[in-house]
Amino acid sequence: MDQQSVQVIVETLKEQGIDLVVTLPEEPTYALTEAVRQDSFFTAVTVAGEGNGIAFCAGAALGGRRVAFVTGVAGLLVSSWALSQMGMVYGAPILILASYRGDFGDHSGIPGSQLLMFKQVAEPLLGALRVPYRVVNQKATLKRMLQEGSFACQDYSHPIALLLSGEVLW
Amino acid sequence: MKRFDCLKLLAPMVDEHMLAVTSLSTNAPFWYNVRPEGPNFFALNMGLCLPFALGLTMAFPRRKVISIDSDGSLMNDSSSLITVADVNPGNLVAFVFDNSSYAFMGSTFTARRTDLAKMAQGAGIAKSGTVRTLEEFSAAAKQAMESTGPHFIVAKVEPDAGRVAADRSRTSGRPMREWFMDAVHRHPDYQVRR
Repeated sequence: MDQQSVQVIVETLKEQGIDLVVTLPEEPTYALTEAVRQDSFFTAVTVAGEGNGIAFCAGAALGGRRVAFVTGVAGLLVSSWALSQMGMVYGAPILILASYRGDFGDHSGIPGSQLLMFKQVAEPLLGALRVPYRVVNQKATLKRMLQEGSFACQDYSHPIALLLSGEVLW
Repeated sequence: MKRFDCLKLLAPMVDEHMLAVTSLSTNAPFWYNVRPEGPNFFALNMGLCLPFALGLTMAFPRRKVISIDSDGSLMNDSSSLITVADVNPGNLVAFVFDNSSYAFMGSTFTARRTDLAKMAQGAGIAKSGTVRTLEEFSAAAKQAMESTGPHFIVAKVEPDAGRVAADRSRTSGRPMREWFMDAVHRHPDYQVRR
């Protein structure tokens, strides 16, 4: 992720009052989570597992904090139990920013069989978990997608996922 | 030592503004019986109780948040101990009621070699320990409620002989969530972020 995308996301999170950002570091979004870590506006939390990351976000969100969870497709897979509970059962408003590993344009060097698995699984997984999502792959629409995702997340009181790809991520 | 007896001792130490989260096991109906009102979130299982409570500490930094977990649930995602240690919230008091059994379905790993308090210490939660009698439980809980944490207390209890009745609309699912949110919205520390 380049600095232009990072800057837009950081600014928009601030505008939306999202001041708690939770992650388990992964390479494509590292520039974003590092920028958040360096910015005193945010409380940046690193979790040891994505499942407890989603539960952590849910506790904070239902307690009134505005939260974002930064992860990748593998992280969504790992956290699927927690997402089923904190989404469908308990309706916790968590904005999920996930690198869309395996989408067209991912030249990161991960074996093709893994990329294909991510591509085949990511969107059906979010569908099965009833997590509304959008693929965000144009810088020109990044800010608006973040604003709309943040609003929908609060309005639905439910996790929302933005799958970052294309020129936004690579 | 019986779980219900421990919770009866704990409840009077929890004021109306403290928040509590329980696992799905008998912790939920037992806790409902001793603290039916206030900001309680019940019945999170398979590793979700402790990290959910940790999240609440970020929303209510001036209040104690009590996690009432069980051994089987915590062991489902023990990496949350590492997250707790790293976040290091002074207002978290985490209890694990360890009956060393999966309800009536046989023993858990704590009946053999696993020591949850040592795991917590190894994760970096310095104030971790195990209690085996009601006197020890009462003293540890009192000390934890009156001092800066995070605290992690493993209470070794007998397998529960039976269940107590609890209103399901208050202790599970969406209806419970709405009761919890109502208590949160009325909490003096709650801040609407719009």
